[in-house]
Amino acid sequence: MNSLPDDLQEQRRALSALADGQAEAVAHGCAAWAADPAARATWHAYHLIGDVMRSEDLAHSPARDERFLAAFGERLAQEPVVLAPMPVVAAPARPRLRQRWLAPAAVAAGFAAVAGMLVVTRLAAPDADVGGPVLALRAPVGGPMGGGVLPAGGALPAAAAPGVAVQDLKMIRDARLDSYLRAHREGTSGASVAVPGGALRSVETIVPAQR
Amino acid sequence: MADADADALLVARAKQGDKRAFEMLVVKYQRRIERLIARMVRDVDLVADIAQESFIRAYRALPQFRGESAFYTWLYRIAVNTAKKALVELKRDPLVFETAFASGEDGDETSRVENELTTGETPEALLASKEIAAAVNQAIEALSDDLRQAIVLREIEGLSYEEISEAMNCPIGTVRSRIFRAREAIAERLRPLLDTRQGGGRW
Repeated sequence: MNSLPDDLQEQRRALSALADGQAEAVAHGCAAWAADPAARATWHAYHLIGDVMRSEDLAHSPARDERFLAAFGERLAQEPVVLAPMPVVAAPARPRLRQRWLAPAAVAAGFAAVAGMLVVTRLAAPDADVGGPVLALRAPVGGPMGGGVLPAGGALPAAAAPGVAVQDLKMIRDARLDSYLRAHREGTSGASVAVPGGALRSVETIVPAQR
Repeated sequence: MADADADALLVARAKQGDKRAFEMLVVKYQRRIERLIARMVRDVDLVADIAQESFIRAYRALPQFRGESAFYTWLYRIAVNTAKKALVELKRDPLVFETAFASGEDGDETSRVENELTTGETPEALLASKEIAAAVNQAIEALSDDLRQAIVLREIEGLSYEEISEAMNCPIGTVRSRIFRAREAIAERLRPLLDTRQGGGRW
């Protein structure tokens, strides 16, 4: 064994390590198998040894194995090559760079969106100096299921009881419409980021108050 | 398990289009699969055919193998199902089955003749098997204690390099080297028997 040329010795080392599941040997071992009949004979010998050690009835005659494998090789050659989708093994450098600015950018975009909506709400509100309370007040108007989107600290005046039209804000709405809108809002944009006043004000539907 | 690791490496390559990697798995498992089928199918002429069919089916199904079970477990199931299907077809119509199954889907009639020769356990083949087993056993007895212990822990106990390193209280590099030297020493004794090329073998 010691008199073997170095490259042959290395090839056999790689096949032995690959037989034992050593990942670093896979490229060398597979390349050797593909290119060198001696490597194929070695791979067969190593596995035959393991089989015979475990059970003597696996001691096939070499001619039998060779014929089996030659016939199988011919059949396999006629098979189309299988290509299975593989999971991404490791994230390459570029996506990682992109991620580095992506996270702060996403946060900034989130702030911009929220700020934008607040500005729109304030501009549209008739009493702009009390924008926050207005949002809190209008959201639960007619809402029989409570304020899932109610901002924290928004106090409910007594007039804003469920099902009661709020005349001084010029909004007369049906409770069923509110419940529909709330469900729709939660289903699409998510309750946590919805600014209720802005979303509701754009609908402006008036239903005859016959209840 | 080191075996599962080795299979996973080769399966991953085969899934990426490396047919040769799949052949390496066939070389590894062919004897076990043939023995399994031989326990189900009495007709020894059919054993190699069914084993080949099993491996071809496994190759075709490879994209669906997700590694949730060990490769051999998955292959085992395919072989059992292929053998069961073959037995059903054999009962239904022995003659049609013999020609249709053995020649595969391409209708290659020459392969049948070839395969009949492969699976017949002739007295010569049995003798060759016994010689192989005897050579392996003698070679193992002739090994030094360290090499023998390493190869036994690996091949019979199925331990990984890390586990053997713990058991033998030596570095992993030493384990790798001992197993390699043990394999080479045994293979050296086998090579005169393996190189006879009775079947005009093509490695």
